[in-house]
Amino acid sequence: MNDPGQWSDGAAAHHSPGPAPESAPWAVTGPDAPPPTEPRKRLHPLSPVLHGAKSLAVIIAALSWQTLSRVGLGWFVAIVVVFLIGALVLSVVAWFNTGYHVVGRELRIHEGLLWRRTRAIPLERLQAVEVVRPLLAQLTGLAELRLEVVGGGKTEAPLAYLTVSDAAVLRERLLALAGRRPPQAAAAAGDPTAPAAPAPGRLLHGVANRDLVISQLLTPQALLLPFGLAFVVAQFVYEATWSFIAVASTLTAMAGVLLQPARRVLVDWNFRLACDDTGLRVRQGLVETRSQTIPLNRVQGVRATWPLLWRPRRWLRLRLEVAGYGMPDPQENPADRLLPVGDLPTAELVLAEVLPGVRLAALPLTAPPRRARWLHPLAQPTLGAALAEQVFAVRHGLLTRHVVALPYARIQSVRVVQGPLQRRLGLASVHADAAGGLTAVAGDRDVTEARALAVELTARSRAARATT
Amino acid sequence: MIPYARGVTDERTDRVEPTAGPIDPLEPWPETVQWRPVSPDLIWVELVRLAATIAVFLVGLGIGWALTGHRLFGYAMAALLALALWRVGVIVRAVRAWGYAEREDDLLVRHGLLVRRLSIVPYARMQFVDVTAGPLERAFQLATVQLHTAAAASDARVPGLRPADASRLRDRLTALGEHRTEGL
Repeated sequence: MNDPGQWSDGAAAHHSPGPAPESAPWAVTGPDAPPPTEPRKRLHPLSPVLHGAKSLAVIIAALSWQTLSRVGLGWFVAIVVVFLIGALVLSVVAWFNTGYHVVGRELRIHEGLLWRRTRAIPLERLQAVEVVRPLLAQLTGLAELRLEVVGGGKTEAPLAYLTVSDAAVLRERLLALAGRRPPQAAAAAGDPTAPAAPAPGRLLHGVANRDLVISQLLTPQALLLPFGLAFVVAQFVYEATWSFIAVASTLTAMAGVLLQPARRVLVDWNFRLACDDTGLRVRQGLVETRSQTIPLNRVQGVRATWPLLWRPRRWLRLRLEVAGYGMPDPQENPADRLLPVGDLPTAELVLAEVLPGVRLAALPLTAPPRRARWLHPLAQPTLGAALAEQVFAVRHGLLTRHVVALPYARIQSVRVVQGPLQRRLGLASVHADAAGGLTAVAGDRDVTEARALAVELTARSRAARATT
Repeated sequence: MIPYARGVTDERTDRVEPTAGPIDPLEPWPETVQWRPVSPDLIWVELVRLAATIAVFLVGLGIGWALTGHRLFGYAMAALLALALWRVGVIVRAVRAWGYAEREDDLLVRHGLLVRRLSIVPYARMQFVDVTAGPLERAFQLATVQLHTAAAASDARVPGLRPADASRLRDRLTALGEHRTEGL
């Protein structure tokens, strides 16, 4: 990088205990360090005050009412003030040691006095830069700059706080360096869950509500319901000691268990999947109709699941793993359900839109060697891994069968893991990670094959990256 | 078997045919990859950490022994010292097991004694790089470099680097990662 001197001091290669010279990469401000290409900037001097004010609520909550009633109001205020001053001092120290500057095409953020951290963010990776103004910041005329990188749900690098004008200037500068489009267009692209227009594109598939209800009745929760009810009735009839409250609480507990299949039915009612050139459109819901658009270039992988109880009907479920800046929390997002229930031909039809050329039935899955039975006595034949044309696919699960298909272009990293038993048996597991927590694990492969898999996955993901 | 691996493993007997030396699945490119060790000073950092932890427990047990005079506290202290000795051996070997290698397009990191792990992280997938150093690490002139990707499971952390090596690696990572991609 065009940053000579300060960050690379070759003379520090020998070991000398004692205070570190300020030439280290984590050195914050060295009096003898040559000035970098751009001086390190501090956050606004009011920042520690705002951070301290934020901790006030935490302090009061931590002390609780109990402490207040025990020590009286005067002492309570005194304790709060002592803690607040402590928090303020820490905030000031943190502010003093926090700095940021742009070096070349990356933003560097330095933090910490004792535990020092330098974070380097290549600006090409910025998905968005937002100027956010929480209430406290609005009152003081400050703003927080949030840098969103893709993948993580949380903001990885907030700069709190700057003056509004500084924040706006820095934002423009970062976006210009990153070579992004105008911010409005970027914001629109990063908001794929905006309510879609009611007129969808080509209808791909609709799930029959009858199938949906049957599929949710064929879940362990629903099947256990009659037994639970019989138990409650029997207790109520034969045991006079059972009060109404006991019955009510049992029923409440059972309702909690039952809620999930019922909610699935409500959410997935009238499930309609359509596609147009922007992506997949999903419309679903009985009480609350949701329609969402899933941009296909955000799809990280597909997970197919065959629950044990659905096997007589040969049904399966498809889920999408979607990642990217601006995606809502995956736990609350039903849009990742590509197919709530369906048979294999339907699944292939839907899958053909998401991952063209991938067929679930035609994946060349192979089982690990027979000696993997020592680790999986029953499940060994159900394990599988395949290097298909476009995806890395793995299969696992004895009762509930899962198949995970991960396009090579979406692989973030490849890992090889070998435990002590695996080493003894000459086996190793290969993990392929995608954004959003999806990991395809080829478990207990032969060491030769594991090594070849790692090489092949690395090569194929590089090739796939180059073409996209 | 996956087609390309055919011929190396016999289907019926499931025995690995002898090839040149034992096969290490954590060495995908044995001919071309130059592994670099982490600094041996990391052993001292870990040993100081261990000593501090052990000392805290020893003082606690010693106080208990002095107050109650029960023999069990003495046994516990002896057991603790034995554990500490065993940990010393583990630390020395674990630090030697850490290694990293820079290939043209990806960073390799391997570590672990009991469970051995190898991570292959392409530079093009990098979101940001952290260089961290705690007080103890700085006393021994060490730093840790961690590469973050969009996948939480990616495990590319290299401890025990000289500051110069750490900044060189950081700069190299960010320079190589600067492609016009989203990192997804």
